[in-house]
Amino acid sequence: MAELLKLSGINKVYGEKIKTQVLFDIDLAFEAGSFNAVIGESGSGKSTLMNIMGTLDRPTSGEVVINGTKTASMTKDQLAELRNQTIGFIFQFHYLLPEFTVLENVLMPALIRKGRIDDRDKKRALELIDLVGLSRVKSNLATDLSGGQQQRTAIARSLINEPKIILGDEPTGNLDSQTTESIYTLLREINQEIKSTFIIITHDQRIAEKADRILEIKDGRINLDVDKYVAKTGGNA
Amino acid sequence: MSGLSFRIAWRFLKSSRGQTILILLGITIGVSVQIFIGSLIDGLQRSLVDNTIGRSSHITVEPAGSARYFERDDDLIIQLTADEQADKLAVSYSNSGFMVYEDETWPLLFRGFELDQADSIYRFSESLVEGDMPANSSEILLGSALAAETGIEPGDMITAVNPEGKSSELTVSGIFDLQVSSINESWAISDLIAVQELFSADNQLSSIEIQIEDVFSADTIAAGWSGLLSEEQKITNWKDQNASLLSGLSGQSASSYMIQVFVLLAVLLGISSVLAISVVQKSRQLGILKAMGIKDRAASWIFLAQGLILGTVGSIIGTGLGLLLNWSFSVFVKNPDGSSLVPFYFDPVFVFVSMFIAIIAATLAAFIPARKSSKLNPIEVIKNG
Repeated sequence: MAELLKLSGINKVYGEKIKTQVLFDIDLAFEAGSFNAVIGESGSGKSTLMNIMGTLDRPTSGEVVINGTKTASMTKDQLAELRNQTIGFIFQFHYLLPEFTVLENVLMPALIRKGRIDDRDKKRALELIDLVGLSRVKSNLATDLSGGQQQRTAIARSLINEPKIILGDEPTGNLDSQTTESIYTLLREINQEIKSTFIIITHDQRIAEKADRILEIKDGRINLDVDKYVAKTGGNA
Repeated sequence: MSGLSFRIAWRFLKSSRGQTILILLGITIGVSVQIFIGSLIDGLQRSLVDNTIGRSSHITVEPAGSARYFERDDDLIIQLTADEQADKLAVSYSNSGFMVYEDETWPLLFRGFELDQADSIYRFSESLVEGDMPANSSEILLGSALAAETGIEPGDMITAVNPEGKSSELTVSGIFDLQVSSINESWAISDLIAVQELFSADNQLSSIEIQIEDVFSADTIAAGWSGLLSEEQKITNWKDQNASLLSGLSGQSASSYMIQVFVLLAVLLGISSVLAISVVQKSRQLGILKAMGIKDRAASWIFLAQGLILGTVGSIIGTGLGLLLNWSFSVFVKNPDGSSLVPFYFDPVFVFVSMFIAIIAATLAAFIPARKSSKLNPIEVIKNG
């Protein structure tokens, strides 16, 4: 199966005078359709890794190849376009636009992509809202939702442009355990259904265990890499 | 600008309603003050110019040198009349003589006009306080001050005498009041032929008096016409004779522009600072939009579009309010005689240029916040615990 996202020799150093290296020579590849969990203590560098994978941040050295495209030489605008079309983000704090309704938030990446919304987009947005179980509140402003509903909206939003990669940075970090459970079940279902690649940062061991592959980051290095996906499919799916 | 930026801008404005109303109020007041002051000064100047030269000659052809008269030249009159820049034209012959009435003698300036022409400039018929305009060469108008002094009434006969003693009997057809006491005392207005005959000056003229549409071009128009004149004629215009009025007007215009510029500047700073605050307020949203792939240019346009929307709406309301203020001023602030102190004057060019400048300025004021927004890096905003 194709390698959708490939990191090779990634180093990240912060600071000019006092240098702090956060990531050390990370080599990683993610296969299309897989569900991956990245675990690690806070300060381990997992969020930095996530930002680099999502092209929100650039590595100090090393190469990020997304869907066969090297990102190092791309301009800001090209990266923005790549993010818009290839990557769906789900953040710990939902990061919805409070001025817009659930439906409008879900449609926003499509609007950014094309500058307008057609009936097809709207139909798809409504399907996604239905999928995450928010049909009843689709016209509510993002601020008039519970935490779980906001995170579900963010999930629907991350899927609207049919991205190949979904990056989640502690997507359930501020939700209670019951809601967390149901969000993960939902993500898993979506993964099965539309075959998007999921890379989810989490500190919840129980959640991570449900993933196909678990990566543990420690002090900026990959400490553990357990790939059940390969085991399950025999590595030649 | 894409529909995307415009839609987001619109929603941002709508959702922070208090801020939007405040900034709109600022633009509205600024633009309305600008329109009000500008139109008021404009109207004031127009009425001042109209009062000063509205009933007098703008460009005058006079005898050159020490001569007091020149030969009537019909070709010249036809050429001047045909010129598009000339609005009204009247020829006149004026000379000093005497009036004898009930054995008393009064000095008079006899002014002979082709009365139909001259009336369009001097509006004698509107100035009549008694009687009618002269119907033929044997009738004459006298001023109200002279009439009061002598007790002459319309219908009375007077004897007009020239310095050489030649006389003619004339009927007073009416009494005028031209609002200037020296004129009301000393002028006698009659038909051109009658005055020319009294002074045995057939075919002589003392002036050709012309009103033009564009009064402020009097000097250039006069210069253009000087080539048509013979050696015994010269041309003068009102601007040469009213230098102090003109310098007053230009001083007034300059101060009006100053006020307008500073009002605009204050509005600009207001918009700029409110939008700058709103970039900070919306930095989270901008970070989210950038993470989702909005381009820097589109992000900038969100703020430029806000400036454009605020500028357009504010300047439309402001213009309406400014014109309403002007209109109220002209209706409610009156002279003792009931006429408007400053008549309502609507100059579409001034109004539209002001609106246009306000809209452009509002958009430019959004430029700094727009630049700031394009520099914002999404990871500054999207931080996780």
